[in-house]
Amino acid sequence: MSSSLQSLDIFKNSYEFRIAQLKEEREHGIKVIGTLCLYVPDEIIFAAGADRIVLCGGKADTIPVAEQSLPRNICPLIKSSFGAVVDASCGGNLACAHVPLVDVVVAEATCDGKKKMYEILPDYLPTYVLDLPQKPGSPEALNYFLSELRKFGKFMEGLTGTVVSNDALKREIRSANETKRLLHRFFGMRRRDPPPIRGSDVLRVMQKQFFLSPDQFRQGVRELCDEMEHVTPEARTGPRIMISGCPMAAGNTKVPDIIEQKGGVIVVEESCTGTRSFWDFVDEDKDPWTALAERYLEIPCACMTPNDRRIDRIVDLAKQYDVDGVVYYTLQFCHAYNIERLRVQRALKKEKIPLLAIESDYGDSDTEQIGIRVDAFLEMIA
Amino acid sequence: MITAGIDAGAATTKALLFRDREIVGYRIGITAFDFLTAARNMFDELLASCDIRKEEVLKIYATGYGRNSISFADKSISEITAHTKGVSFLFPEVQGIIDVGGQDSKVIVVEDGRVADFLMNDKCAAGTGKFLEYTAKALEVPINDLGGLALASGHPAGITSMCTVFAETEVISLRARGITKEDIAAGLIASIATRVGVMAKRMGLKEHVAFVGGVAKNAGMKAALEKELGTILYVPFEPQITGALGAAIAAQGNR
Repeated sequence: MSSSLQSLDIFKNSYEFRIAQLKEEREHGIKVIGTLCLYVPDEIIFAAGADRIVLCGGKADTIPVAEQSLPRNICPLIKSSFGAVVDASCGGNLACAHVPLVDVVVAEATCDGKKKMYEILPDYLPTYVLDLPQKPGSPEALNYFLSELRKFGKFMEGLTGTVVSNDALKREIRSANETKRLLHRFFGMRRRDPPPIRGSDVLRVMQKQFFLSPDQFRQGVRELCDEMEHVTPEARTGPRIMISGCPMAAGNTKVPDIIEQKGGVIVVEESCTGTRSFWDFVDEDKDPWTALAERYLEIPCACMTPNDRRIDRIVDLAKQYDVDGVVYYTLQFCHAYNIERLRVQRALKKEKIPLLAIESDYGDSDTEQIGIRVDAFLEMIA
Repeated sequence: MITAGIDAGAATTKALLFRDREIVGYRIGITAFDFLTAARNMFDELLASCDIRKEEVLKIYATGYGRNSISFADKSISEITAHTKGVSFLFPEVQGIIDVGGQDSKVIVVEDGRVADFLMNDKCAAGTGKFLEYTAKALEVPINDLGGLALASGHPAGITSMCTVFAETEVISLRARGITKEDIAAGLIASIATRVGVMAKRMGLKEHVAFVGGVAKNAGMKAALEKELGTILYVPFEPQITGALGAAIAAQGNR
């Protein structure tokens, strides 16, 4: 592994640049959409001539202000995101400068916590909610989602005054597929032993995927891949680990940091800030709306039932990346991922792949407890 | 070859000396504020009592919550690995371990003397020695008497609170209702047994299960857990030393 990849600086230093870019776009009348989920297709937003920025919160600072309105015992990502919207000072943290640049939040009916938070959000920011079927496998579900996407397209047209043409959609689908191909290249290099990049570095890159413009993100990943081709990784310090579970939004690197500090080598993440965002491509030859609906319903999120696709994907990734163990990560109070753990664990057990379950929030109070579990797990699978 | 194991636990520190295939001696004491001072004192006392010089101890391994503070140790290993090595040395046939300590409780699945899987309780005092310590106080009985009292109970009181603070309140209200100390003690113990029992069942422990940690000294607790799991538990002659023993064995190297 190497922590000295120079191209990582592109991502580290990108915040101010992006803020300036968004401000300038707004001056030219370009609308900025805030998103909090992979189910909201970037392609439709860009085809309507708008820009987008991810609003998922990964920092603890904005949680106290959120808890003035929301229950304490809900997921920290929901609280952190909400807190950043309601408190312009961002809990004294200046990392929320992008929030006031958002014209409309395009939310999605995924988990209960987010759905109900989105009912309160319009008091602070205009909010549009994209509905989702929960049993994604049927033709009826596909048709319903297709109608929801078209409705969303109309909403975007109304907002920007730009028609979402099939040509524009196809152009954006090709662009997004290019990002996906690049990320496949990026992740593919981690199959090497030892991998040429640290997992926590990959996470910090992936946390920027929906923050930066696609062009800037791709440029960064491309340079990183080129650099990784030439690095000679240091010897592996411990077992090869896959992280699977809840998203780790920007600011949240607690568990990967602990795993690496204890010597574990993270080689792949099955999460929204990992493979889930780019693994499947959108069919470029089909009607673009249908192609989008099909691809987006394939996202293996635990809010869907049944979610066999995710379980198969995890087992497949574990083999492809030759992992010694899986760390199953859930955000505290995320029932969907937490309950789904059992099916994942059983599927992995059949393949003799050990699993360590960690449930945590954004605080530091459990760092030691997690450390003990990770130590024991690494010793167990060494 | 003489090696030492130091188990720097949250509540107690244990030190143990091991020579070839046998335990030379051990020491258990209160950790208090400083892991390192407690460990050093315990180790020095142990050396003196066993009449062994520091130089004769070839390797020292640390384990326990404060394992990384023990600067004089050569290496640290997790409690999970340490208990598994220690218990497997004492009972080679063991397939599972339940450790209820001062700060947490753990369930370990053992296969051929190695950790196959494990589960630790959440970051909370429920299901730990601390729960018993606080509630015994509310009952105004010394913690060491709790087990004996529980065994004398005819009708264990129902304790529903998992939260240590709420359970304390519950004990006080049960006392106010005139429930006997015996029945309350039995209720408290049953409540931990249920919680730890769920963890053990979740991990699939059935038989050849060892019970270690400070709480394993509590006869009432052992009986309640045995009832919960339907198996006779193996309790070592000194259930608090298996971590230190495992660390000392690990320090012997791969034999």
